[in-house]
Amino acid sequence: MAEQNVQRLPAEELYRRELEALMAAEQDPIPTGWRMSPRSVLTYIMGGEKVKGVEITPKYMGSRRLVEIAIATLVTDRALLLIGEPGTAKSWLSEHLAAAVNGDSTKVIQGTAGTTEEQIRYSWNYAMLIARGPSPEAMVKSPVYRAMETGSIARLEEISRCASEVQDALISILSEKRLSVPELGLEVPAVKGFSVIATANTRDKGVNDMSAALKRRFNIVVLPTPTDLATELEIVRTRVEQLSAGMDLNARQPGEDTVEKVVTIFRELRAGATLDGKQKLKTTTGVLSTAEAISLLANSMALAGSFGSGTVTAEDLAAALQGAVVKDEEKDRLAWKEYLENVMKKRGSGWLPLYRACRELEP
Amino acid sequence: MDGPVLFGVRHLSPAAAFQLERALEECRPQLVLVEGPSDLNDQMHWLCHPETRFPAAILAYTSEPPVRTILYPLAVYSPELRAVLWAHAHGVECRFMDLPSGAMLALEEAGEDREEPEENTEWVYRQLEQRTGEEHDTFWERSFEQLEDWRAFQAAVNTFGEQLRRTARDGKFRTAKTLVREAYMKRVIGEAVEAGVPPERIFCVCGAFHVPGLRENQPMTDEELAALPRADCTATLMPYSYYRLSSRSGYGAGNRAPAYFELLWDALHQGGPGDLPSLYLTRLAAAHRKAGNLVSSAEVIEALRLARALCALRGSRYPVLADLRDGAVAAMGHGNFSELAVAAADTEIGTKVGFIPEGVSRTSVQEDFYRQLRELRLEKYRGMEQQQLDLDLRERLNVKDPKAALLDLRRSRFLHRLRVLGIRFAAPLPSRQQGANWGEYWALRWTPEAEIEVVEASLLGDTVEGAAAFALKERGEACSSIAQAAAVFQDAFLCGMPAAARHALKVLQSLAVDAAALTDVADTAVRLSLVVRYGDLHRFDPAPVVPLLQQLFLRACLTLEDACRCDAKAAPAVTAAMDQLNRLQLDHDCLDGERWLELLGRVSDRDDLNTLCSGFAMAALLERGEADEALLAREISRRLSPGVPAELGAGWFEGLASKNRCALIARLSLWRHLDDYLSALDEGQFRRALVFLRRAFSGFTPAEKSDIAENLGEIWGVNREQAAEALMGELTQSEQEALKGLEDFDFDDI
Repeated sequence: MAEQNVQRLPAEELYRRELEALMAAEQDPIPTGWRMSPRSVLTYIMGGEKVKGVEITPKYMGSRRLVEIAIATLVTDRALLLIGEPGTAKSWLSEHLAAAVNGDSTKVIQGTAGTTEEQIRYSWNYAMLIARGPSPEAMVKSPVYRAMETGSIARLEEISRCASEVQDALISILSEKRLSVPELGLEVPAVKGFSVIATANTRDKGVNDMSAALKRRFNIVVLPTPTDLATELEIVRTRVEQLSAGMDLNARQPGEDTVEKVVTIFRELRAGATLDGKQKLKTTTGVLSTAEAISLLANSMALAGSFGSGTVTAEDLAAALQGAVVKDEEKDRLAWKEYLENVMKKRGSGWLPLYRACRELEP
Repeated sequence: MDGPVLFGVRHLSPAAAFQLERALEECRPQLVLVEGPSDLNDQMHWLCHPETRFPAAILAYTSEPPVRTILYPLAVYSPELRAVLWAHAHGVECRFMDLPSGAMLALEEAGEDREEPEENTEWVYRQLEQRTGEEHDTFWERSFEQLEDWRAFQAAVNTFGEQLRRTARDGKFRTAKTLVREAYMKRVIGEAVEAGVPPERIFCVCGAFHVPGLRENQPMTDEELAALPRADCTATLMPYSYYRLSSRSGYGAGNRAPAYFELLWDALHQGGPGDLPSLYLTRLAAAHRKAGNLVSSAEVIEALRLARALCALRGSRYPVLADLRDGAVAAMGHGNFSELAVAAADTEIGTKVGFIPEGVSRTSVQEDFYRQLRELRLEKYRGMEQQQLDLDLRERLNVKDPKAALLDLRRSRFLHRLRVLGIRFAAPLPSRQQGANWGEYWALRWTPEAEIEVVEASLLGDTVEGAAAFALKERGEACSSIAQAAAVFQDAFLCGMPAAARHALKVLQSLAVDAAALTDVADTAVRLSLVVRYGDLHRFDPAPVVPLLQQLFLRACLTLEDACRCDAKAAPAVTAAMDQLNRLQLDHDCLDGERWLELLGRVSDRDDLNTLCSGFAMAALLERGEADEALLAREISRRLSPGVPAELGAGWFEGLASKNRCALIARLSLWRHLDDYLSALDEGQFRRALVFLRRAFSGFTPAEKSDIAENLGEIWGVNREQAAEALMGELTQSEQEALKGLEDFDFDDI
């Protein structure tokens, strides 16, 4: 396969070697329909020692316990719902779980305002339907349908973006574990191993809130933003490196120190408290996700590379920071001002240039 | 078996208690020795008293201040307690075998502030946590609480103790203390053997950590025994609570989920640990429903299935608390523990409080209370009749003894602490002082209820101060507004308890983030300012208060401009806050003066704010000498120019006139402008203006008013005599009618 030309390979292709090594080294019992034991899935996601000479890289940097809960949920053939702020690796985790459990992460439905019930159940190849009438050949099966038939995992992204009638279509599938096709007089039972991993965004709350009935059919795992500074720094640093290598930004990597400052500011404003926990802060309306910190740094690099000296300066950073923190609301401006005076100003000489640059931008 | 049975346990472990009972049944010893202070054997019969309800605690405390205490909390599932109760029920002799409490307290005191090397016992626990990825308590529960055979349990626990001992590198002192205790225990065992009990019929219950020590070390010699340090101390049994048990962490001292472990204890006696998960989850669901939430049985079942799958991933036979909780959160709590927090507290901690037969308790708080009463010479007030006590908090300079010099301050702190604890012995009377606060007035009266309240305080701490600190901390945590938090802070300040004050301050800080109302912020800042300024009198270091004061001030500065955009009703409150802030800034150099003046300038300049506020800002600037004659003249002519609506012009004047009146009265140009402005108003406008003006002038003294009248006279070309003449003369018909017309006039304010 011409792998080089593909922009993005599915997880099971990208990590084929690791998956195969884990399967070859399997020692624990494997649940029906799975390709490896729950423990191996855990190792695949969290990373671990070399298996058969293949290093298992960590795919998810975060709480091991949450991943355990997610895997245990799939073992009990309950549906799993991953909830979190934008940029907390929900889809990422869902893809890798499906890749490890089934070796197939591609049975995906992307939830949008335009998703219809047919996309959850099945639809028809209308040309064939009209020509030959209803037949199994004329049926276009949805990913969920195919997952039920094969006893594997279907993924549903951004479930809370779907209209509620579409969400409701899931209820019967998840509780009855069968799907009926009245046109063909068919009842398709779910084969053992079938499950659904859905993801939902906390910022979408209120758009199409999930009904209590549907929620009850899921075990819910809330994915947090990275738990500590070191983890988040690691994530940001690696991603910025990867990005700048791929995009010819013509700027030097921002220093360790700069990355730490950005991540510190993001974490503190996001959590509404200073890192040492001694001081509470106002939070902002913006998300300030890890992903945003990454793009903020990449942007300042682009700025510095195209219009500056090639080194990210305090001024480049200040403008980007203000843009990220202060959306258009008065509340954000207030929070940012207070942060500057109460926290940043008192951080000592290392922070002074950034403080001055930020202060200068204030009206 | 040749030696005594050494049964290693973990304090407050249900499995250990359960296995211990089985072991006792099988061994049928002649003597049971329990790790516990050997001078407290006389407390044992109270433990076995039929009226005693657990949790209870054995408390030993030094008789001399500073009070040091050691506490042995006992729940129904404490192995030590089970051993004592078993012996009592079977008529077997039972004794405590550890160091006497006096020696233990003395050693504890000597060991204070000794540095511990990094690789101490706790370090081993942390290492284990890193390896297993689980908290130590969870690790313990998973590995030991589920063993079903007592011999297997004993072997596992003893191995754990042995390995722990081998891995941990405790400090010299701690190691020495362990060895001294073990030597003493060994001596007690030896004495029993000498008294004729066959060694194999002695059953020792001790921490698993001590088992290797008891096996290998030598007993204490007579000389060593004589050399033991001793402290004067008293011991008592006191009621304890599950809540307090759960709020103390650390090995032996606490247990994070006492009610859950009681469930485990019950389950072990009924059907084994396998029953516990469903028991816990159904209780949790019931508590959650009681708190007003919906939980279906299907969800409980799913939670149980998930917990089972989780424990299988970890390789234990039954789910442990962490699994059950995580299962419940995912299946019942929508992924958020906070949804289940109330129910979990109910199910895991519970509200159980122990009971001790009357007359048994003589707690250290009572002891401390009476000692302080004596020391502070307050005993004579302990009568049924109300007496008044006047305190002068200032240091008495003519007294040499520093304690005596501050006697009244110490009394004040003590009484405030009692007040915080809700002990109704002393009630504060309102202060009769103005402009000073070194005097305090109290009404003191003793009642039997007060005695009970003192005993109740022992649930909060070991001394009056300790209990007050705990009470303040709890109150602090329950605060939901900055006013409440400021009150807690003030109490802590009055009680002379800096640590509690710091805690309240932290709460205050976190609440201050959301408190948007300018007046609240200003009020709180003023309260803090008092502490900063008068902290000295109370011997209180105000340094930690300053940053918060600065923060509040900054917050007020940032919100002031917006607050000034308000209606006439809200404006007085805003100007009052502005006045407070202005004075605060003058009192404290640490507050950003430049920012403040700049802000006042903006408020004074802007046309779109409430004019009362703008006028007031102008007045404040004027008072501080930050506005010159030209600026004032410009503002006056701008604000009071003809065509400006009455409420705006007169409102501005009202604000301006609320400060530095002498300076205003001396400025003739001001009155000329005011006169021109008022003359230009039409009838209706004038009537509106009258309301504001009347209010503006109501605060002036008669002398000031007459000065103003003189000013106006000069403008109108009327001198004093002429005016007097006109005023003394009879009212003409038209004048009387005009006055009558005013009777219906609504002055809006009275």
